[in-house]
Amino acid sequence: MRNLRNFQPAADACAKLRIEIGSDFAGLAIQNENTPDVSWHQAAGNRNDKYKKINVRFGKGIAGRVISTGRPMSVVHFPNDILGKALDYPIMLAENLQSAYAVPLVFNQVQRGVLLVGNRQEHIFTEEAKEAVARTAAELQELIDRFYRGEADGEA
Amino acid sequence: MVMPVSEISSYIIHTQEEEIKRIALELHEGVGQNLYSLFTGLQFIEGGIENPVMKSALKDMTAVLAKTIQEVRLLSVELHPPALSAFGLFAATKSYIKLYTNTFGIEVELITIGKERLVSEKENIVLFRVFQEALANIAKHADTSCATVTFRWEETFLAIEIADEGVGFDSNEENSRNNLGLAVMKERMHLAGGTFTIQSQREQGTYIKLTLPLR
Repeated sequence: MRNLRNFQPAADACAKLRIEIGSDFAGLAIQNENTPDVSWHQAAGNRNDKYKKINVRFGKGIAGRVISTGRPMSVVHFPNDILGKALDYPIMLAENLQSAYAVPLVFNQVQRGVLLVGNRQEHIFTEEAKEAVARTAAELQELIDRFYRGEADGEA
Repeated sequence: MVMPVSEISSYIIHTQEEEIKRIALELHEGVGQNLYSLFTGLQFIEGGIENPVMKSALKDMTAVLAKTIQEVRLLSVELHPPALSAFGLFAATKSYIKLYTNTFGIEVELITIGKERLVSEKENIVLFRVFQEALANIAKHADTSCATVTFRWEETFLAIEIADEGVGFDSNEENSRNNLGLAVMKERMHLAGGTFTIQSQREQGTYIKLTLPLR
């Protein structure tokens, strides 16, 4: 899918969500247009720009796994209690996150994106926080869908 | 007959590497090729189908198969980089660095000094695995956005230096997991007849030097 790096409404939605639930980080990842890999397009609360260069393989890491399964995923105490190796979770390593919660974004009935929130310490996300993430994910789906159909402002 | 422990360790590591290489090759040349034949077959069938529902279902299956082929190919490369056997250590390193930056977002500057010399396949794999482990440690622990790798090709030896300006660590402090990883790297270099040295301080980055005599 096309680049959303300059799409301000998506950046604003991530920043708003981060403040609303008091998390350290919020990020949006989207599956690439020509490959099944997943890239990070937006981040709020990031400590560096590494996320812009990260390409996650389909099915790998938190973003790849959420897209391949279509289900939310939680990490409570990274790198403990994870499926696979720590190296399979590049965004957690890049941002020094110890906990995360991620949900899929669906376009045309196919999961193609991920909204992730994370903290730099061990943390269990409350049901309230998870609901806020789900609301923002629904909002982002609509915004991005409109953006791709050329109905929203932003740079493709 | 009693064999020295170092020779046994060396033999075990070598056997494991040979097995990894065999699996990687089998995945790439066997499973991968068969899947590709299925992929082209499905594409051919898709072209002859007129029912739109069947056509769409077949298209989805082809897309899943394409993803699977890519996964198998990447898994094979991850297990044993083909560039290592085909083009040597430096080319494999260069290719791995590209993949590394794409995976972890960490830029790695690769410098080579001197003329590249021939290194045996057995030694190539040792150097490559230790180098991979050093870069993995940077991704896991250094909290940095860049690193430098320098190859120094001397008359009698090759030195590979891996440096980062990340958070570093106190090498005197106990950290069993970290120490074990470093001990394994050191042992692998030692078994190959080389050396492994590491210097690190908190907030001062980490510097690793691998050396191997060239015959």
